[in-house]
Amino acid sequence: MRRGLVRIGALAAKEALHIRRDPFTLYLALALPLLMIVLFGYGVSLDIDHIPLAVHDEDRSPESRALVDAFTAAHEFEAVGALEDAGAAGEAFARGRASAVLTVPAGYADRLARGEVATVALLLDASDAQATQQALTRADALAQVVTAEVVQARLGGMQVAAPLSARAWTRYNPAGRSALFLVPGLTAYVLAIVCVLLTSLAVAREWERGSMEQLFSTPVGRLEIIVGKLLPYLALGGVQVLLVLTAGAWIFDVPARGDLVVLAVASLLFLVGMLGQGLLISVVTRNQLVATQASTMSAMLPSMLLSGFMFPIANMPGVLRALSHVVPARYFITVLRGVLLKGTGWAELWPDLGMLALFATLMIAASTARFQRKLA
Amino acid sequence: MSGDLLRWRNQLLAVVRKEIRQTLQDRRVLFLLVVAPFLQLLVFGFAIDLGVDAVPTVVVDQDRSPEGRALVAGLLADGTLVEVGEAASVAEAEAALARGEAAAAVFLPSGLARDLDRGDPATVQVVLDGSDPTRSGVAGGAAVRFFGARGLALARDRLEARLGAGRGLPSVEVRPRLLYNPTLSSPVYMVPGIAGMLLLIVTTVVTSMGLARERELGTLEAVRVTPIPTPLLMLGKVLPFVAVGLFDVTLAITAGAWIFEVPLRGSLWLFYGLTLLYLLTTVGMGLLISTIAQNQQQAFLGGLMFLLPAMLLSGTLTPIHAMPSWLQPVTLLNPLRYYMEGIRAVLLKGATTGDVAHAALGLAVLGSAILGTAVRRFRKRVA
Amino acid sequence: MSPAIVVDGLSRRFGRFTAVDDVSFEVGRGEVFGYLGANGAGKSTTIRMLCGLLAPTAGDAVVAGARVSTQPEEVRARIGYMSQRFSLYPELRVAENLEFFGGAHGMGGRSLARRLEAVLERVGLAGLGRERTQDLPGGMRQRVALAGAILHEPAVVFLDEPTAGVDPWVRRRFWGLIRELADGGTTIFVTTHYMDEAELCGRVGLMVAGRLPALDTPEGLKRTHAPGRVWSVRGGELPPEQARLRLAALPGVLDVQSMGAGLRVRVDRHATLGADDLAASLSGTVEVEEDAASMEDVFLAVVDAEAQRVGTAAAFGEA
Repeated sequence: MRRGLVRIGALAAKEALHIRRDPFTLYLALALPLLMIVLFGYGVSLDIDHIPLAVHDEDRSPESRALVDAFTAAHEFEAVGALEDAGAAGEAFARGRASAVLTVPAGYADRLARGEVATVALLLDASDAQATQQALTRADALAQVVTAEVVQARLGGMQVAAPLSARAWTRYNPAGRSALFLVPGLTAYVLAIVCVLLTSLAVAREWERGSMEQLFSTPVGRLEIIVGKLLPYLALGGVQVLLVLTAGAWIFDVPARGDLVVLAVASLLFLVGMLGQGLLISVVTRNQLVATQASTMSAMLPSMLLSGFMFPIANMPGVLRALSHVVPARYFITVLRGVLLKGTGWAELWPDLGMLALFATLMIAASTARFQRKLA
Repeated sequence: MSGDLLRWRNQLLAVVRKEIRQTLQDRRVLFLLVVAPFLQLLVFGFAIDLGVDAVPTVVVDQDRSPEGRALVAGLLADGTLVEVGEAASVAEAEAALARGEAAAAVFLPSGLARDLDRGDPATVQVVLDGSDPTRSGVAGGAAVRFFGARGLALARDRLEARLGAGRGLPSVEVRPRLLYNPTLSSPVYMVPGIAGMLLLIVTTVVTSMGLARERELGTLEAVRVTPIPTPLLMLGKVLPFVAVGLFDVTLAITAGAWIFEVPLRGSLWLFYGLTLLYLLTTVGMGLLISTIAQNQQQAFLGGLMFLLPAMLLSGTLTPIHAMPSWLQPVTLLNPLRYYMEGIRAVLLKGATTGDVAHAALGLAVLGSAILGTAVRRFRKRVA
Repeated sequence: MSPAIVVDGLSRRFGRFTAVDDVSFEVGRGEVFGYLGANGAGKSTTIRMLCGLLAPTAGDAVVAGARVSTQPEEVRARIGYMSQRFSLYPELRVAENLEFFGGAHGMGGRSLARRLEAVLERVGLAGLGRERTQDLPGGMRQRVALAGAILHEPAVVFLDEPTAGVDPWVRRRFWGLIRELADGGTTIFVTTHYMDEAELCGRVGLMVAGRLPALDTPEGLKRTHAPGRVWSVRGGELPPEQARLRLAALPGVLDVQSMGAGLRVRVDRHATLGADDLAASLSGTVEVEEDAASMEDVFLAVVDAEAQRVGTAAAFGEA
């Protein structure tokens, strides 16, 4: 037992030396998570606003101007100028100058004065379904607000109390900031990329160079080789978790409301699973170029697409939803969001921890088994 | 003169032929160049749908009145919110939110029907799980808008009753018209973007790793002792991958049109022209990375350092106008941004050459800068 | 006829380190010119400059009529190059590798195909064009690499440690090929650190710490740098170290080195010391034979002299 530990220690020290000999790779492995945090935190805003809006006002009345003001005062729309001719909308869309055109027809003010329904047209470049959806919702809400103002003006400024209204309370992220949603998910994504890739590449390189066969000729056991190889990367992964979470807390004020022990256990299980997967890939492919692609396909893309990190799983077709159940990042992200944002703990998260443990065990078992076969 | 031309032709052919042979030789590389992008397109196309519907909702009904039930039924009618159960108290509902079983809770206070009947202001509370702000925004917006509209209608009825018949109150209605993608299908918008990202992955990464591999093997030195002019060598190395890129993009839009019903409204020539310009920037980037990287691992990580920001700052997933204003100018250096704008305009909106001239210009400028730098760095004789 | 290679005051510095220091020599057409030196002595840097891969920081060289400082592309068109590492694509077939290197020199079509056959024949690999390069044994791969270097019939061929890591029999065959090439009029510039290979060169330049302190035919080098008679001494009852000290103490002995089971004793040509004297100085049955000075003697003597010239540490730090 003790001798086994010494051998593992020696292997781990050798592997750590490899990592240190190639500082460029090490820097990249540490810089990448930080770059991603900043990019996702600032660059990805799921709340789509500043939709460029061109206005075509045929009525030119104080009422029509009030309507246009109501639209452009909201941050969802941003005025990009007046359109002289309604036919120019197509060109403005094609050149990407505007994504929406608001047309107020002549007679708008007159219809309001007669107490009728005045209709304005909103022409939307609907190619971006998501942005269009938000624009439609917002336009409806603005119409409600303008109607209320018009009615109130008609009644001579009399206050009309709405007999029914709803109040929304938002838990966990009251300001609705995208960063709070993305940073926990990002942690899982970054770890999946870096851990699987680094291990699979580093070990595939040893296969390419034949130094793996050399290791087999020593009395070191298979499991010992695996544990020794993984230890330094596990440490690197641990540093990355801390780096991402600290940066998230500092730059984007991501809270940590729950039990951090749960988080640490989940991180460890997830890391072991990811490293095991990288090792398995390297044993199977034994070629760096192929290993990168296998890692991209099996770790990077699923962790981004099928984990619930950005894209809601509920919207996907049945096959992909079923697939998402075997993506470990999905469970890790649930734990991260639970602990950081919701303040939940063991009681709520044990099923997810269980799935992470299962995945880690499977990966280590599978890579050990493949190692045995390669030797035979 | 013609002797020079013949020599150059032979040199270029030699490099191109060698690259093709190396690529065809490894079935797995061929797989990752041709089959993998296709699979990725399918998964991406089906998986990326940022739309929100069917938000799981619990109802806490403390009023237990027919009016209350009718309001809830009306709220759920458009499918944005879907009732997954009832809860006896707000605390119980919030526990459901914490466990992730529900993302919204609608709370009807006791006395709601009575207040409505008397005309007293009545308020419905909605509690939202804000950990996904898009979802909570849409769900909250839907609830507030629904109850607001109900309130407005009730107020109007009462006022009109008080003012007497024949005297209507004005109202403003927005009538939307959706161009290009009236069914609001997510893939229609995403597939062209995904094609651009896949081209980036395939061409940039494969080019950079290919050259890094030659460096590892020592063949690069042997090639450099031959009299091949550097630009010719570079050209020969990238041409096969430009061809692969063109093939992949054809596959992508064909699959996009068949499976996801992505329209092809503009000129295909314009589309391929933009693609060609874009490919020059991506393979150029691959070459540039390989002049810096010492081995394949570094080349891949370097490729990733370019790829991820390029994807995020391109407007593929979220629009550029929604980014903070200090970040927006950075996207001007991103070839994917121009390509994305260009091909979305051509495919979805039927844009003409004049419409996408700025995108083409952006790509051309970036492409020549990147390729020029790569050739210069490669040529620099270092020990 | 002008010489194939003219090197004039060639120098290369990397920062403060001088890899090649003011080297001048000439190589005639059809000559096999050996470049000998320890690892890091500056051989590879010299070859890289002569191939137009690296610009000299001072001095210049003319290779096959083209100047390396101003016409590097022209130089590369006229030379062949084979490096110490196998510069072949392992996953390609032999003929595919050669087609690539031929094409890289602007060859194509029928003439390339014909030439390819001829070259494979010449290096003794006829009919092996369809073999995958990585499946060939080391010695064969090395001949493929040579074929790649001479495919375009260059005037000068540079071989940078071409036989590193291959067995002696394969090395001998390879040197046979080099000889034939030279007899056909091709100039060969070969670096090596095998002393026996240096014996096979027409002339040998000896590089120590970036300088070229010795250049001559192998015989000339031995005359100048390892004068005296060399005796091989075997047997005796004394432990080797003691025997060594005894012999070194004899008048006229220049140095004593161990060599396998015996000792090599170099004696001043003018000394009267003979075989019998050497045998008598040791007890027991001693076998003494006259031996020839080797390139190794030359090499050690030159390194020694250089070390004394610039200070021991500097020279051995390089060697």
